[in-house]
Amino acid sequence: MANIAAQRIKREFKEVIKSEEVAKCAIKVELVNDNYTELKGEIAGPPDTPYEGGNFILEIKVPETYPFNPPKVRFITKIWHPNISSVTGAICLDILKDQWAAAMTLRTVLLSLQALLSAAEPDDPQDAVVAKQFKENAEMFHLTACHWTNIYAGGPSVNKDFDDKIKKLVEMGVDEHEARVALSSYNWDMERATEQLFS
Amino acid sequence: MEATLKSLSQDADSDMECSDNDCLDEYDYYNTADDNDIEQIDPSKTDPEYFEYECLTEEQVERLLNETVEILSNNLQITPSLAKVLLHSHGWAVTIIATKYRGNPDHLLISSKVKPSTTPLPVSGCSRYLTCPVCVTPQIIEKFFSLSCLHLFCKDCWTMHFEVQISQGISTAISCMARDCEVLAPEDFVLKHLSRSNMREKYQQYTFQDYVKSHPELRFCPGPNCQVVIRSREPKAKRSICCQCKTIFCFKCGMDYHAPTDCHIIKKWLTKCADDSETANYISAHTKDCPNCHICIEKNGGCNHMQCYNCKYDFCWMCLGDWKAHGSEYYECSRYKENPNIAHESVHVQAREALKKYLHYYERWENHSKSLKLEAHTLEKLKSRINQKVMSGLGTWIDWQYLFTAAGLLAKCRYTLQYTYPYAYYMEVGPRKELFEYQQAQLEAEIENLSWKIERAETTDRGDLENQMDIAEKRRTTLLKDFLDV
Repeated sequence: MANIAAQRIKREFKEVIKSEEVAKCAIKVELVNDNYTELKGEIAGPPDTPYEGGNFILEIKVPETYPFNPPKVRFITKIWHPNISSVTGAICLDILKDQWAAAMTLRTVLLSLQALLSAAEPDDPQDAVVAKQFKENAEMFHLTACHWTNIYAGGPSVNKDFDDKIKKLVEMGVDEHEARVALSSYNWDMERATEQLFS
Repeated sequence: MEATLKSLSQDADSDMECSDNDCLDEYDYYNTADDNDIEQIDPSKTDPEYFEYECLTEEQVERLLNETVEILSNNLQITPSLAKVLLHSHGWAVTIIATKYRGNPDHLLISSKVKPSTTPLPVSGCSRYLTCPVCVTPQIIEKFFSLSCLHLFCKDCWTMHFEVQISQGISTAISCMARDCEVLAPEDFVLKHLSRSNMREKYQQYTFQDYVKSHPELRFCPGPNCQVVIRSREPKAKRSICCQCKTIFCFKCGMDYHAPTDCHIIKKWLTKCADDSETANYISAHTKDCPNCHICIEKNGGCNHMQCYNCKYDFCWMCLGDWKAHGSEYYECSRYKENPNIAHESVHVQAREALKKYLHYYERWENHSKSLKLEAHTLEKLKSRINQKVMSGLGTWIDWQYLFTAAGLLAKCRYTLQYTYPYAYYMEVGPRKELFEYQQAQLEAEIENLSWKIERAETTDRGDLENQMDIAEKRRTTLLKDFLDV
């Protein structure tokens, strides 16, 4: 079985390298080890989304039963998205679960993930806090996602107000990322975030 | 310090373990026409719990399913394998499938995932070799197979695909390996590609389970390691007993029998109870203080009419009120009194009121459930009490047997009473709820009377007790007749 997995990954690796998306710098894969069981993926944040300009690194683990079972994929780069855990990077996407088909490839997975960044599914959330914000306060969600893209994925949009708030909390001795999570979860309300952090 | 009050009623389980053939009918109120001197009446009209069903073995079920498959495959001139896919997706309704097939066969086959939704493109070219898109190995064309969608994959990949799916417990839902293709692999196609015998066995076992689960007239007995399948032509939320392991369950949902509450409500209730168990546990601790002298009392029997051994105060275990008020015709302790001004209260008070309401019903539910769990114990005590009586020359063992019969009936009534609480909890306030709670209170009062009388029976004169049994059972059936809606 492992034989088929390695054979397939080798082939797919070449397919991705040669694909037109790579030429456009939209997707990328790299080998992590020699036995083709783990890869590093990368997708560019799609245009006209809060993720635009960011580069998102993915961990791709290939199971022994690949391609009959889907690869295990998660975001290494921290991201603010309803279907991706802001804590672990776990992804909620049907094709990585029951809608997987053996004829799908790494390329289709990466493109589907990119599509997920353009069109979230808040009714099938992975991160409940983000999904709630997405549905109830779209503007706040957009600003927060832009900010995370800027900080973790190298996105261009700097949010001075958010940075200041985080700085204040850091000065109070809070870890920077924890401060960002708390503020993001409470719509950047300093008082409530502080309350949560120090309770 | 602990004051213990005895109360007796017969073990619910032992009552339920009886079936027609292996146990004396005297405990079995559900399945016997008890009065021989009354002319035969149609039980389906008089007994709200009447339910016709049969227990089948795996072989019998297989035969039954195969007969249905044969009828459909002959009727529509399709392979048995395809007939199975159609039957599985249509709840085994042969006539519905046949009608749909005659109306628009394509539509039926597409919606049942037998055919692809778009017309497949045949493989072009006439090369002798193809590359399998899954294992990316070029192979001779004869090694390729496809479903009706014409997505070709090599034989080894199909085998691997099926084995991986089966090892994950998937059988009837195995589909094609192509992207976004939903066409299902029928049984003959799967079996053709499975050579390992343990895989074939597993596959057949899983498909069998799926078929039974999709068949509205069939239900697996939920008892542990029990292979029996119950069949009823009238699939309703009624009481079924497995003939093998004696498990009692609701035919429709497979959970513990729950009349008069329906399947949906009982599920909601049990989930709620599980979620709130911490709070409720705290409230419904096993002990209560005597409302008169405040001595700590552990309830170790089924009766709710308590008499404090310390101060002789008679009170109700449910509401801790004076029992005298319960003895009269209007027994109210089962009723939850809603605060009429609740709408004007703050959110906080409303939340507290909601918890209070829930706890009111939960406590009563728990109380009766605990009473039933203590039945085995109380039955033992009943036995030893009878022994004592017989030893001291008060009647023979046979003379006292009626007490066991009474205890069996008590357990059955208490069981129904327990399941009236979730029903009442989810009922909307109004005249119907008032009627329900009135009947519930009546039933509860008669159950407590019966329980008290069984415990205190001093003579072999059974007239009074039998009268009480009759009243309690009448109250139970009346409530079920009026409110059991299946």
